[in-house]
Amino acid sequence: MRKFVAILLCAVLAVTQVSAQNRTVRGKVTEDGKKPVANASVLVKGSTLGTKTDDNGNYTIAVPANAKVLSFSALNFETQEASIGSKTEINVVLTAKVSELQEVIVTGYGTTKKAANTGSIAIVKAADIENLPFSSVDKALQGKVAGLQSVASSGQPGASQSILIRGASSINASSQPLWVIDGVPVNAGDASRLQTTGNLLSTLNPNDIESISVLKDAASQSIYGSRAANGVIVITTKKGKGGKTKFRFDTEIGNSDVAYQNPRYLPLDANEYINITRTGLINAGYGAATVNAQAIALGEGNGINFNWYDNIMRTGSQRQLNLSAEGGNDKTTFFLSGGHFFQEGTSINSQLARNNLNVRINNKATDRLSLGFNMNVGNVSQRAPLSGGAFGNPLLSTYFLLPTYSAFKADGSYNYVLNGGLHNTLALSDQDKRFLRQTSARGSLSADYKIFDNLKFRSVYGVDYNNLEEDQYNNPNHGDGLASNGRAFAYYTRYFNYVWTNTLDFTQNITRNGDLSTSTQIGYEAQKSAGYFSSLQSQQFPPSLTLVWPASGASPTTASATISEYTFESQFASTNLNYQNRFVLSGSFRRDGSSRFSKNNRYGNFWSIGGTWNIDREKFMNNQKIFDQLKLRSSYGVNGNAGIGNYESPALYGFGFNYNQLPGSAPTNVGDPNLTWELNKPFNIGLDFSVLKNRVNVTVDWYIRKSENLLLSVPLSTTTGFGSATRNIGSMQNKGLELSINIVPVQTKDFRWDVDFNFANNKNKVTSLPNDADIVSGSYIYREGVSINTFFLREWAGVHPGTGDPLWYDTDKHGASSNVYPGANARILAGQALPKYFGSLTNALNYKGFSLSAQLYYSFGNQVQDGWRSYYLGSGFGPTFNKVKRQLNAWTTPGQITDVPKYVYGGNKNFQGSSTYNLNDGSFIRVRDIQLGYNVPKATLEKLKLGSANIYVRGTNLFTWVKDENLPFDPEQGTGSSSNLNVFIPKTVTVGLSLTF
Amino acid sequence: MKRFTIKNMIVATALLLSLASCEKSFLELNPPTSLTPEYALATEADLQVALRGAYAGLKSTSLYGRSLPVLGDIMADNTYQSVSNTNRYTSFNLYNYTVTDGDVAGLWSASYSVILRANNIINSKIPDNANVLQYKGEAYAIRALAYFNLVRYFATPYTQDPTALGVPVVTVYNPDSKPGRAKVSEVYDQINRDLTQAASLMTKFTNSSQFSKYAARALQAKVYLTMGDMTNAKTLALDVIANSGFTPVTAATHAGYWAGVAPRTDKVETMFELSFDAVANNAFDALAYIYLQSGNYGDMLCSTELYGKFDAADVRKSLYATGTRGGLASVFVNKFTSFSGDHTDTKVVRFSEMYLIAAEASYPSNAADALKYVNEVTSRRGAPAIATSGAALLEDIILERRKELAFEGERYPDMQRLKRGIVRSTDYPSSARTIDYTNFRRLMPIPQGELDANATIKTQQNPGWN
Repeated sequence: MRKFVAILLCAVLAVTQVSAQNRTVRGKVTEDGKKPVANASVLVKGSTLGTKTDDNGNYTIAVPANAKVLSFSALNFETQEASIGSKTEINVVLTAKVSELQEVIVTGYGTTKKAANTGSIAIVKAADIENLPFSSVDKALQGKVAGLQSVASSGQPGASQSILIRGASSINASSQPLWVIDGVPVNAGDASRLQTTGNLLSTLNPNDIESISVLKDAASQSIYGSRAANGVIVITTKKGKGGKTKFRFDTEIGNSDVAYQNPRYLPLDANEYINITRTGLINAGYGAATVNAQAIALGEGNGINFNWYDNIMRTGSQRQLNLSAEGGNDKTTFFLSGGHFFQEGTSINSQLARNNLNVRINNKATDRLSLGFNMNVGNVSQRAPLSGGAFGNPLLSTYFLLPTYSAFKADGSYNYVLNGGLHNTLALSDQDKRFLRQTSARGSLSADYKIFDNLKFRSVYGVDYNNLEEDQYNNPNHGDGLASNGRAFAYYTRYFNYVWTNTLDFTQNITRNGDLSTSTQIGYEAQKSAGYFSSLQSQQFPPSLTLVWPASGASPTTASATISEYTFESQFASTNLNYQNRFVLSGSFRRDGSSRFSKNNRYGNFWSIGGTWNIDREKFMNNQKIFDQLKLRSSYGVNGNAGIGNYESPALYGFGFNYNQLPGSAPTNVGDPNLTWELNKPFNIGLDFSVLKNRVNVTVDWYIRKSENLLLSVPLSTTTGFGSATRNIGSMQNKGLELSINIVPVQTKDFRWDVDFNFANNKNKVTSLPNDADIVSGSYIYREGVSINTFFLREWAGVHPGTGDPLWYDTDKHGASSNVYPGANARILAGQALPKYFGSLTNALNYKGFSLSAQLYYSFGNQVQDGWRSYYLGSGFGPTFNKVKRQLNAWTTPGQITDVPKYVYGGNKNFQGSSTYNLNDGSFIRVRDIQLGYNVPKATLEKLKLGSANIYVRGTNLFTWVKDENLPFDPEQGTGSSSNLNVFIPKTVTVGLSLTF
Repeated sequence: MKRFTIKNMIVATALLLSLASCEKSFLELNPPTSLTPEYALATEADLQVALRGAYAGLKSTSLYGRSLPVLGDIMADNTYQSVSNTNRYTSFNLYNYTVTDGDVAGLWSASYSVILRANNIINSKIPDNANVLQYKGEAYAIRALAYFNLVRYFATPYTQDPTALGVPVVTVYNPDSKPGRAKVSEVYDQINRDLTQAASLMTKFTNSSQFSKYAARALQAKVYLTMGDMTNAKTLALDVIANSGFTPVTAATHAGYWAGVAPRTDKVETMFELSFDAVANNAFDALAYIYLQSGNYGDMLCSTELYGKFDAADVRKSLYATGTRGGLASVFVNKFTSFSGDHTDTKVVRFSEMYLIAAEASYPSNAADALKYVNEVTSRRGAPAIATSGAALLEDIILERRKELAFEGERYPDMQRLKRGIVRSTDYPSSARTIDYTNFRRLMPIPQGELDANATIKTQQNPGWN
């Protein structure tokens, strides 16, 4: 040993001597020990001396005597240094740069590297959706992905959220994407039957999600065949990484309030209401006696001025707590987590609590066999008030109940006698019960067997189980239970959805040097979703308000149970050909059969082709300095939308049309023996590039997708006995541009500024309809050449300054106007419900331990309809209901210019009728998220024995700017953009703490 | 080793492919609560089930569940909307309803929905027997009733112009048809054919909730009266009075009669009604709800002018009560008594109306008969006997009809067939107290939804509606 040290010392001395002289070093730069790296720079560190490798990766360089280190660099490779010492030959193996192009991304049924990806896939990472005050992941996606529109219609915690990816492609079938969680296509959407809303995804804790891949084009989607047309959202939950067990703890607490409130749309107080009512009675021609009597009857002079709005609105509380542990060894890894989430809505009787558990275990049984198990169980308990026109809807009562009626009598008990027969929603909130309890279990068992190193078999059995217990009690004294002397409901809904997927994955070099390689997958999948529904109701309840279950009712009135099922059976294959990671060609095919499709059209074939050219890997790019990455992608294919009813194809007689409590039947479905999926044909071309040393990363996509065989509810002449029939007819087109930009304007040792911007513009148009005829559906029209969900309404022409009468344009020609509510032919195209463009801008600043980030969400170009305007802004229509402040602008004197007609008790010439008066510009910009955080420094952490600690304050929806000052409610009103007196969307402020140890 | 893995691969592929040949039935799932028409209408018993479905259709809120009885009175001069209201039927109170009116659209589509249900029974190929004929007979009567309502609300009265546009006559199911309007006379021809056929096929009487032979004839008497065919109206009314076996409600039994909620088997008074029971009822939308003051609604009040017509001793007056609503003295309608438990049924054809039809139909030819028949009613109501003659007698018959059938939806159709202006009391909004016979709103518009879906009818809108 001593001898060895002596030799080493000698060697070191020798090196020192030798290096004092000028000499030549040569060598070879390779990628993997074999493959040469051409055009790599070889530099003497600390000097300007340098050379480049030739085509075979060889170099020769003269080095000065004092040179110590050579630096090797090449595009797409990590820079590497080597000490020169006494060596005359230095061979270097460069490792490829783990750039974005090398990132592994999750796709349908597998993963791919970004370089090999031909599709348009957006990735949302865990950090972007963790610890947000949203009850479900779909809400958290707003603004995160270019071209993904996530829009709420209610602020109810647990409410369903509409998601449109690259526009809406269907009129009557579903426009919602397919959700795939850990490989299982799950049931998603609103599963409530008794309560107003029940989002199946609300049982999934967003904190358990590792990543979300949004599949936007044919190349990425078509492997999901008949269910891919609305896009696919692939969720992967967290896995353990092995090693020492690590814990993570997250908690936050906060409050929420109404995000957007327009003072013009606050209800009138007692004086204002009585004054306007008196005016209205006089304007309606009533004599003094009637005016006085009615004013008194409506509460004049009764001394009451009750503010229903303030009593029903409230500050909601919000909290969540998440704990996880991960670890394992080289054979087995695990991830365990538990979470609790609680949120109150911005008005009474609105809340949600979630508790959930998550387990994932992975085991390498042998070198060839690995096993996986995961189970995510969540339980949600939700209270949601009635919505829309229900008398028990607290939001309705804030606008409809008169301030001259108090919720309470003089003795403090509830007052049940209110205007218009409406309900005292404060009393109901107290005495009625409305519950939804939902339990979901999503999990899978998988086995991977490596048959050869390049051939893998994978089998996954997945389950997606949801049950909903919906219970309701309406007390016998007041409200909906009065007529039946109390009533209670119990609805049980269960979905058991299983999927068995088997795949073979095969990778092979086609040329010996690996320049051309392929990876191919074939698979088989069978899926069945079985829904079970039981419903019961009983009436005639004992007087005690604590007996709230149907068991206490004397008279059972509903006893029903039924099922609803669907199946899919599919074979699929996908392949890609990769030439030096420069050119990649991909293809996919899927054959789907489904019980939903008619006998005549039970199976469908879906496919895609895609290609990408990683231009930055071309030789000619080696000499340019502009692009760090440059990638061109394109794809085309055909997929489908199977989002139709489970039993829509056959002509049907339904039952339940009973008479004298004996069974009765009636035709319920026109039927179509050829009914089948909708076709979607997306074409996509995209460019990804990075410039300025990867400080600016840009993704641009342009797409056009044509949807054909649209499932349409074709209006029939009602004289046939049916109002509509479902047919595969009609077509539609969406085209648009998506842009995502990530910029790092400043990056120093302590300071980093990140800017993320995304933009999407989608232009939808209906391209064909049966017999080229318009289809009018309520306030909307489907017309060739026009976007779906375009409002079709009579055109408001203003208030006549001389008479205060409402005016409408007589015809759709925008010509003469009159005070006669015009006929159907006067309706015009009045703007679209879907925005023309939307996206977000995020700025994140990090300085040492501090972080500040803000996301602005913007949405422009749509109209929003006020669904209940006629009642609270109808210039006298529904006169015994309260009005909003804007009604005070009603015309009073000749010559007055105003936008609210004269107030006439009972209504002013059909002013309440639907017209463009109901529309407001829905453009808005909202501070979706703003967060200030602090990371505790390492030194402190070590003292505390913590891995990391972060404290933060977060504001969600804190500020909302709207373009139209008359927009009554939140600009987000679902994809139909029509308000329905739902719980108002909240703004939330939370403080939180995140620890790992 | 290599051979072994190749074997594995083959096994795996074979496994994969064998799975792919799943059972065919995996993809064939039948709807759990519905049947395809060939199975739903296969037997005599199925026909009976379908017939109940047709009756259930008539119970719609848009028809006898609420709208028909309410519209028939609010579009005339019997009932008005309280200033304290829940906004139901407001536009009829104000006479300013539009082509988009939901109640108008509901009346139209619910009627045709019933017609489809009846058509499928009538057109069924199940071999005839007494039961099948009875069911078909009831279906004919139901179809006639639906057309009778449509033609009375949507078309020029027959007494005005039988050649005017009626409503589309649909007797065969064809989901793609876009029919135009038949002439009024053609609609009435269809109604009469159906009712004649109904009466000839039916041999059974179950209870008042189902059509029977004489219920069909009684309805036909009303149809003829509506057409102004007094000869046939009288003949049929007298046939029903003489031969049906029904007996009229009397002053003594009157209060109990209206308080009853169950279908009758005793052939007293009710010839046909729609049955609403404790389970299958319209809940908050029940007819009684909109009149009775004990519920949340009670929007609709009796016009003080009508109330004033009842003699103090008239038992019918006890069906009304006075009180205050919306700060104003009001008359409440207590004719429909139950919106909880077993609900009040909606009367469609009553025996007493036969006397009124006989009286009115006798008037042009035989005043003595007219007087005799109308007093068959007054005498059973504790009302003073009518003793007038000439034009005054006709007015008294019409007034007696108004008093007897008030809130049963007959007043507006009467004003239509009599081609009279409607003069409403000061209970009504000042803008809507005189509704001339020529007011275009006296005919309902073909609903906008129908115009949008049916190119043929698009050009056949009633005059005045744009």
